[in-house]
Amino acid sequence: MRLVSGSNGISRRTLLKVGSAAAGVGALGALGGLARPALASSTSATITFAYFGDPKQATSMQASLLPLVKKADQNADLKVVGYNGTDWNDFFAKILTQIAAGAPPDIVGVATEGVQLMAGKDLAIPLDDYVKRDMSELKEMFDDVDPILIEGLMYDGHLFELPVNFNAGNMFYSTKLFKQAGLERPPENWTMDDFHGYAKKIGALPDVNAFDWIVRLWGSWTSFMYANGGNLLEEQRFDNGDWLWGAAYPGNDAVKTRKGGWKWGAPTANSAPTVEALQLMIDLRKEGLAPSPDVGGGGTLQGLFASNRIGMTIGGGFWAGGLHNAGMTPDSFDVQYFPKWKEQKHLFGVVGNAILKSSKNQDLAWEVVKQLSAADAFDLQFPGNATTPVRRSLMTAERYKSTGPEHWNVFYDTLTKFPNTTPIPAPPYYNALANALNRRTTEAVASGNAKSALDGLQKDLEAAAKV
Amino acid sequence: MRGEALFGYAMILPSLLIVMLFTAGPILASIGLSFYSWDVISPPRFTGLDNYEQLAADQTVLHSFAVTLGLAVSIVVLEILIGLGLALLVQQRRNTFVRATFRTVFYLPLLASASSVAIVMGYMFDQKFGVINYYLGLLGIPNVPWLTSDFGATATIVIIAVWQQVGFAFVLFVAALSTMPQDVLEAATIDGAGPGHTFLFVKLPMISPTILFVAVVGIISAMQLFDQPYVMTKGGPGYSTTTTVLLIYQTAFQNLQFGYGSTISVLLLLVLIVLTAMQFFGARKLVFYQ
Repeated sequence: MRLVSGSNGISRRTLLKVGSAAAGVGALGALGGLARPALASSTSATITFAYFGDPKQATSMQASLLPLVKKADQNADLKVVGYNGTDWNDFFAKILTQIAAGAPPDIVGVATEGVQLMAGKDLAIPLDDYVKRDMSELKEMFDDVDPILIEGLMYDGHLFELPVNFNAGNMFYSTKLFKQAGLERPPENWTMDDFHGYAKKIGALPDVNAFDWIVRLWGSWTSFMYANGGNLLEEQRFDNGDWLWGAAYPGNDAVKTRKGGWKWGAPTANSAPTVEALQLMIDLRKEGLAPSPDVGGGGTLQGLFASNRIGMTIGGGFWAGGLHNAGMTPDSFDVQYFPKWKEQKHLFGVVGNAILKSSKNQDLAWEVVKQLSAADAFDLQFPGNATTPVRRSLMTAERYKSTGPEHWNVFYDTLTKFPNTTPIPAPPYYNALANALNRRTTEAVASGNAKSALDGLQKDLEAAAKV
Repeated sequence: MRGEALFGYAMILPSLLIVMLFTAGPILASIGLSFYSWDVISPPRFTGLDNYEQLAADQTVLHSFAVTLGLAVSIVVLEILIGLGLALLVQQRRNTFVRATFRTVFYLPLLASASSVAIVMGYMFDQKFGVINYYLGLLGIPNVPWLTSDFGATATIVIIAVWQQVGFAFVLFVAALSTMPQDVLEAATIDGAGPGHTFLFVKLPMISPTILFVAVVGIISAMQLFDQPYVMTKGGPGYSTTTTVLLIYQTAFQNLQFGYGSTISVLLLLVLIVLTAMQFFGARKLVFYQ
């Protein structure tokens, strides 16, 4: 595949080679002489799998997953590469640079944050034909996975990934601090007023933040925004996904409301419910019930929670493993659905594996992708409850026996109990959105003025949507 | 004679090639790419002066330059004042072991990776669990939002940059003070000049070339500040610590606007050239050369 413009005659790879050293930029005119085919053909049957996480785990993951790849093709080999970063936008920046440099992986583990980025930029291939061909084989997987998660991996009616794990934004709480504050487990249908009441009681304890949160798209003040009926972008959906639902979920009523993937429309970042949600976070800080949040992935927050300095915070299934690793016993924390405000709407993000268009071994990559979504592959990729499996059959009491929480069923039941659970708004310009969201959120917290900051975010998103 | 010249050129050729490849090359490439629209994935598209038109109306870029300049001036002024002060104090010590120890201690932070330092400092300055706020708390001072308020974040970045860079200025000032001609200082003493007058009218003019050097190098370095805001604040709160290089990184690598990112970097290059020229121009009147 040669990505060369007809008029300019400069390949993107040539540009990157010559000028990327410091600023990651390319070269002009004279560089034409250095141009060569953008991607050399490969005869290797090695599949490169890139994931977002600790690079140090790549070797052990490679060893664990290799037998699965051999199952797909005895001659195939596997190379696993991990990329770390503060959040998904850092990961995508690195993957895109790899693609531009002519060294793309074959398979990339991509969360909701990047599904539309990969699909919208024509980097990943739709899996429709493979899925149709192997539907009888995949039926077992679809039967085990809630269709909400599948729809989260669709774009413009096409399925771009097979799912592996997900996390919905629930409310974690410290059972120790609840006990000290004289509080019982909140009911499933608790409200925002209840939440505020709980927060006040926990906030009365010494050296404790009743609630804490981090600045990012998933599980931040955005959870409050969803519960308040707001969003950063207009919620729309693509129509053309029927090819999948009829074949993968025949006779399943749950797919009647499913369509062809989420279509994020015009920015609505300064709409009334969105402003109200962010203002609530500011007000919690003013009341002394929540501190100023950090920007990032949540590691620090888990540490603070594990040391009983936080009463409540937003978390998903990945918190179970995180808190366990931080030293919490299974009974020292628990989880409940996110409280109802205008509605009890939750957000979620789902991670699957996509095949890059540039892969020279797409057929083999597909076989590997199927293996990575197999039930027995989950714990090889994510040992120790590091995330929530998309397969309902893997959600067992035994799984959460050593880590907790007691009400682990909340993680998956969020999808079935609340069919309005919606993925985080991640359009093809997710990276720009994430940067703008982080900036404007910290601005709002520092200034105490949510409206002004979100007016700025609205302008940022309008500009980003145009690029 | 011609052979000697050729030999000279041959000697500098390796350095020249390295500079061309790793310094001039990327600069020329950036200038070239600033006339293109390129998202790394699609082929680059020639857009003429569109990026420059966008730049002229982009308040975010203007703001980033104001932020960067403010940080750079604060950092360099503090570096010079603290570096010179420490150098004067160390220079007064007669014990060579003490002098060597201080020289090493003040220079050590410079050897550490800026990113690593920023990560550790980020924890130290954290509002919720940072050790800085812990000790301030013991003094009865409430938690300071070091990284989550406009002023706090700016001040923290300045403090950390100065802490790490001051060793560079310090070592240069120590060297300048050490090589100062003793006869001039003795003449000043014989003429009745006290320590203050000696410093202001003898020492300061004689180390003014070093001050100029520290200022020029410091400004160029500080105008490219990236690690600390990237690691600790991500440019926030809002845009309060968004330096120009951070904005270039986010524009190019995260927002995938490599052409426009290059345009900003070209502007940064021009600003640096102008700032350096201004410093050298001002130096003609202020710097004393023996």
